[in-house]
Amino acid sequence: MFVQLLRKSILRRKSRFAMGVASVLIGAAVVTALFTVSLGVGDQVGQEFAKYGANLMLQPQSNTIQIGLPGVSIGSVTEQKYMNESDLWMIKTIEHRANVLGFAPFLYQVVTVGDGPNAQQAILAGTYFNKTIQIPQPASPQDHSEFSTGIADISSWWKVTGNWITDQNDTTSAMVGSNVAQKLNLTVGDSFRVSYAGAQNGTAATNAKELKVAGVVESGGPEDNQIFVNLPVAQDLSSRPGKVDAVQVSALCVRCPVADMASEIQGKIPGVQGTTITQLTNAEMSTLDKYQSMMVLVTAVALLASTMGIFTTMTANVAERRREIGLMKSIGAENRTIAALFLAEATLTGLIGGIAGFGVGIVLAQFIGLSVFSTTIPLRWEVLAVAIPVAIGVSLLASALPVRRATAVEPAIVLRGE
Amino acid sequence: MDHALISLEKVTKVYGGGTRALNEVTLSFEKDEWTTIMGPSGSGKTTLLNIIGCLDLPTSGMVYIAGKEVSGAGQAALTRLRRENIGLIFQQYHLVPYLTALENVMLAQYYHGSPDETKAVAALKNVGLEHRFDYPPAHLSGGEQQRVCIARALVNEPAILLADEPTGNLDQTNGNMVLQLIQRLHEEGRAIVLVTHNPDISELGDRTIRIVDGSVDQDFKSGGDRNGE
Repeated sequence: MFVQLLRKSILRRKSRFAMGVASVLIGAAVVTALFTVSLGVGDQVGQEFAKYGANLMLQPQSNTIQIGLPGVSIGSVTEQKYMNESDLWMIKTIEHRANVLGFAPFLYQVVTVGDGPNAQQAILAGTYFNKTIQIPQPASPQDHSEFSTGIADISSWWKVTGNWITDQNDTTSAMVGSNVAQKLNLTVGDSFRVSYAGAQNGTAATNAKELKVAGVVESGGPEDNQIFVNLPVAQDLSSRPGKVDAVQVSALCVRCPVADMASEIQGKIPGVQGTTITQLTNAEMSTLDKYQSMMVLVTAVALLASTMGIFTTMTANVAERRREIGLMKSIGAENRTIAALFLAEATLTGLIGGIAGFGVGIVLAQFIGLSVFSTTIPLRWEVLAVAIPVAIGVSLLASALPVRRATAVEPAIVLRGE
Repeated sequence: MDHALISLEKVTKVYGGGTRALNEVTLSFEKDEWTTIMGPSGSGKTTLLNIIGCLDLPTSGMVYIAGKEVSGAGQAALTRLRRENIGLIFQQYHLVPYLTALENVMLAQYYHGSPDETKAVAALKNVGLEHRFDYPPAHLSGGEQQRVCIARALVNEPAILLADEPTGNLDQTNGNMVLQLIQRLHEEGRAIVLVTHNPDISELGDRTIRIVDGSVDQDFKSGGDRNGE
């Protein structure tokens, strides 16, 4: 009888019931969408941040010269200590090695471009563009013994006209910063000559090299003022074989323990100092915090709207059925029986609204994923386990006061004709 | 008074606004007795019926139903007393609009805790509605709806039937049919308390009580037409 009563009372008020379901649907859809995005987008957010560049800088311990990151101008390279290129594989053996998206070593030198009166000075940086390095002693047997890395991985936001240097053995190509290209009137395919004057075995010596422009780099940062070549080219030119000035490391993670990673690398590679780029890390944290605060706020507003919607619907439902409630009580219904009828309706409203809201939320999550993160968001069934109880909970909570009013209806109203 | 089915002792009912609907009313209703309550509008008839029917409590005074004192009972106890002892017949029928005739009757059984379709069917047959089980109230005439209401009031076999203007919304033919039905139920041994404005109906009962301004103005034997007294 109870089921019949519930079914028929809902069918009789289909539109009102549908309004209640729609109210729940809105809240459940927002909860589903934001939770799905939040769960599914964690890695994407990390990758988005990784695009902004390295968040960890490795330098020789005594080296105080700051070089190479966006927004930081580079000074002239003076006599300094170096890191050994042969030690770099150890970066991929730290505990948080899975979080190391990539790294790129840099060896800087001031070179003269061109000859005669038109000669200009520029900074030449030797680096890895896309190099496969060997890991002779992987930290775990499951780890790969090779790792492909380079500036293409950690500076993917570079706008390149022409081509990236893809051959790690290419000793004749260079990627030229846009400012350098403009000053020297270089375009893709042009050849130019660089020379490096330094001390060699106690005597002055000049090494020169003919290079060809493979691509022009536009980053909006100091890279626009630099010339990039494969690391061995720079090492040869300045006669510093196997040496690097600095290594930029990009850690792929959200709220990753960058400081811990720096300490770990310091422990692995002697004489290396790791500096976290706190500005970027903090920005990452702050953005994520804001994203999560926004998510909580939007969810709260949506749930509040749902609660108000169900409250209004249920209040109208109780008011409309006042005489029916009075009749039921007059023929023997107890308060708990009346409450059970309305709470069952609220539960059903929550359940149907929750399931429908989950479906709509998944679509909404894809829309957010594609429009904000340019990626699809994987379906997370665990969100259903949150959305349905939340939907039912909101529906029951919003119905509490109307149900209380229903139980307060006096049976005497049926005789008074109210 | 000891054997009375319902007893009221100095029952007063004052509503929130200070309206004194009943003023120290003392009455008793016997088993097998048909009592008709009459009086002008606002005299306190409905309030009296509410209190007898355990739908409301007096402000002061004592009420006994089947020997139990109920004036201090809580809502749950009143509900229990009501569903076990009292059948209600309303002027406006008060059928649940989305249930069929049979389901409306079974609703009373459901709240009574003893759903039994066979008995519900028998109750509807008893009021001459064997061909209307599956009809919703909207598809029944006024007289038929009132008979469903009577079947619902009867199905749990209460000792007392309270009827509030049961023919008030019916034409003469249907009204007579309902009165004959009530008369038959009375003859089967049920106590009837019926509120009406119609003096002709009071003639059908054993006793007439006239309420004026919340007090018993007249209380006399009637029913000459029915039992030849």
